[in-house]
Amino acid sequence: MNRTESKARDDGGALLEVRGLTVTFGTPRGDVDVVRDLSFTVDRRQTLGIVGESGSGKSMTSLAVMGLLPKGATASGSIRLDGVEILGKSDAALRKLRGNSMAMVFQDPLSSLNPYYTVGLQITEAYRAHHNVSRKAARAVAIEALDRVRIKDPHLRIDHYPHQFSGGMRQRIMIAIALCCEPDLVIADEPTTALDVTVQAQILELMADLQAETGTGMIFITHDLAVVSQVAQDVVVMNGGVQVEAGSTEQIFSAPQHDYTRALLAAIPRLDDDLEELKMVGDFRTGATR
Amino acid sequence: MTTMPTQLAVETEEKGSPFSGGGPSSARRVIRTMRKSPAVLFSAGFIALITIMAIAAPLLTHLSGWGPYEYDPSAVNADLGGIPNGPLGGIGPTHWFGVEPQSGRDIFARIAFGAQVSLLISVSATLLTTFIGVVLGTLAGFYGGWVDQVISRLMDFLMAFPSLIFMIALLSALPAGNRPFLLVVVLSVFGWPYMARVVRGQTMSLKNREFVEAAYASGASRVRIVFREVLPNLTGTIIVMATLSVPGYIGTEAGLSFLGVGVTPPTASWGQMIASAVPWYATDPMYFFVPGLFLFLTVLSFTVFGDHLSKAIDTGEAR
Amino acid sequence: MPGYILRRLLGVAVILFLVSFLTFCIFFLLSPDPAVMICGKTCNPARIDQIREQLGVNQPFLAQFWQFLSGIFAGRTYGEGAAAIHCAAPCLGFSFQTNQSVVDMITARLPVSVTVAVGAAVLWLLIGISAGLVSAIKAGTWWDKGAMMFALGGISLPNYFIALVLQYVLVVQLQVLPFPSTPDFGEDPLFWFQSYIMPWTVLAFGYASMYARLTRANVLDTLGENFMRTARAKGLPSLLVLRRHALRPSLTPIVTLFGMDFAGLLGGALITETVFGLNGVGKLAADSIGKNDQPVIMAVTLMAAFFVVVANVVVDLLYAVLDPRVRVKS
Repeated sequence: MNRTESKARDDGGALLEVRGLTVTFGTPRGDVDVVRDLSFTVDRRQTLGIVGESGSGKSMTSLAVMGLLPKGATASGSIRLDGVEILGKSDAALRKLRGNSMAMVFQDPLSSLNPYYTVGLQITEAYRAHHNVSRKAARAVAIEALDRVRIKDPHLRIDHYPHQFSGGMRQRIMIAIALCCEPDLVIADEPTTALDVTVQAQILELMADLQAETGTGMIFITHDLAVVSQVAQDVVVMNGGVQVEAGSTEQIFSAPQHDYTRALLAAIPRLDDDLEELKMVGDFRTGATR
Repeated sequence: MTTMPTQLAVETEEKGSPFSGGGPSSARRVIRTMRKSPAVLFSAGFIALITIMAIAAPLLTHLSGWGPYEYDPSAVNADLGGIPNGPLGGIGPTHWFGVEPQSGRDIFARIAFGAQVSLLISVSATLLTTFIGVVLGTLAGFYGGWVDQVISRLMDFLMAFPSLIFMIALLSALPAGNRPFLLVVVLSVFGWPYMARVVRGQTMSLKNREFVEAAYASGASRVRIVFREVLPNLTGTIIVMATLSVPGYIGTEAGLSFLGVGVTPPTASWGQMIASAVPWYATDPMYFFVPGLFLFLTVLSFTVFGDHLSKAIDTGEAR
Repeated sequence: MPGYILRRLLGVAVILFLVSFLTFCIFFLLSPDPAVMICGKTCNPARIDQIREQLGVNQPFLAQFWQFLSGIFAGRTYGEGAAAIHCAAPCLGFSFQTNQSVVDMITARLPVSVTVAVGAAVLWLLIGISAGLVSAIKAGTWWDKGAMMFALGGISLPNYFIALVLQYVLVVQLQVLPFPSTPDFGEDPLFWFQSYIMPWTVLAFGYASMYARLTRANVLDTLGENFMRTARAKGLPSLLVLRRHALRPSLTPIVTLFGMDFAGLLGGALITETVFGLNGVGKLAADSIGKNDQPVIMAVTLMAAFFVVVANVVVDLLYAVLDPRVRVKS
């Protein structure tokens, strides 16, 4: 199997194109927009960073793309994956894309894995959901997937349960699950937030390596601008459900246009900072009407 | 066993109420949420009604004209084995809820005095188990070490113990004497671990929370920390668990009295009234139906009230 | 694991010892003199002494307890010489009322109690769990509200009350069922079924209500777990997501609860058996309480304790089998 070959047609068009995405929650006190009129594109082999505080709407954006919005939330606008509109598709149609064309890595790797089943089953079920293969063949794929995320002795570890792995290892397993069907798009929602700093660096490196190998497009969601500067080529800064600023990573870091972005940048601690200069990020939701 | 479901219900409810609580500031909000629900209003109304009935039982029987121990031979038909005169077990203007077969004692009076017994026993047992449970639970959770070991082993033993059958054996062996008092003691001996276990667990996790550590750092004494920092955060949980244990004790008391090891005649108890109605169920169904209905509605009201209280306190905390 | 099992079995022995000691204490210290009870109306002091001698109740407390305990494991002999009565190995004494061996009395009635327990358990598991599941999946709908209202009634209704209402309606008024008794399955299967259906229903109603509420709460908890989102993100069919990922975490605690409840019922459903006149262990216990027949009450208490304490260990072991976090050390 040639892992570097992408399943999708590489015709130069954007892999993911989101236009005017609005996510609305119906509450007893009326509708609330948690994401409003958001637009961005993700290309193959590229990583888009979405940055914002918790509650800025970045996680809802990713769930809207996956079609996994919680009950009571509706999305409008346009989401095109490989040129095909997926917003408003039936759940059965979306199910064929989920895990197969687009996959997700979540924040907390412990609670994101089912404690009752071996990691082997949790990888093979993802593969078998989209490939009509025998258990044995799926197991081989799972062992290979574990090997690819640099887990030692994958043929032994495949029969272990999530609680037998460390936090970083669990996140590697989550990545193995996400990548086992060779998706075109991977959405990583704060994948390193729950991890120790040293482990964080290892996971980031692994994700970069794997992306280089497989050529997937990636959305990397984080509240940490420092992480974004390492992984992303383009950045969207969100606050209060709206896009505050967007551009290439370099551009954003060297010449931020918006006060909120500047405040975020200033809040990154540096070794040469004095303690008093640690800035607090204020509320800059200028455009939002929440 | 029969009364086990209600007892276990108390045990399982704890799951739904982690860290619920808070001081008087949230009490007003909880009351506001509760007042919106018609189910809460009905159950609170019924609880109030039963309470008034229990407290004012002597007054009420004075009004109705028949005491709980007064025989009324004119209300039953001696030729037909003593079944009550008139339809529906003799319900009428003289006897509001009818009369007992054979003796002709007034059922309304016995229901009212039965409410007294039922509430007295269940509320006393609740207060006692809550007190013991909170004290031992906080001790075990806060001090840890051998204190925790001793208390925890005791709780394990009591909870692994077949409590209902043992209560029956114990009560059947105990001499007559003050039955309601004995019932309260026996119910409490087996009831407190359920409260203590939850209090212990929550105290243990509260102990390591920042505000408790901050209080330590500022030099507060242990006693002060328990009363000022830990217990106020547990009040919600304690109130919910206590409320939900009341119907459990009402049900258990009635069950024990039904089996003849609880409240002994002539003192009236709902469970015991139903037991004496068993031979009459075919000829005089009202005799079991009236006390059964009161027992059911009382247990239901407390359960509904407790359920809603638990929900109201939880959602408050989640926000 | 073997070490753990050994430790638990030791714990069982300790608890059972304490239970029998406490039970013995209660009856030794609190009960009226059994010799006087057995002796009855035509009695004189010499006869009472004779009975005391025969029962061994003239001996000190610990000696009596030792005799009682060793009787369970090795049998014991009452009296001496020609008047001696031997009581074989699991010996729990003789009934004051009938002079029968208590163990024989219990074994004769155990099948009825087991029949009651098994039938009720099947009913309450089927109804309780499925109602709870559907309520959780359709949370907030009218079905959910209706089922939960029903369950609330179920946990609040005393089962002797339901028993009387059912008997009055089905047997007296509608006459669709016969007056209950304790029939033999072999003689008349239909009558057997008709006699047991009411006790089963009455017992199952309370438990089913409790299990429905619990199942619903557990499933709702599990549905909110992060791993459910992961499972959906894999593109698994929604039925598989439910069946594989939601069911097992939700039902595992219920399996253990069921073990305890079922074991509790094996010791006899006192109230249900009494109300329906079923000749099981529960009715035996209830009748003995009325007649103050101490050896029988004590024996039933010990047996019930045995079932519950053993079930406690079985349930813990079962939990380890069902939950890999307990079974496999990290």
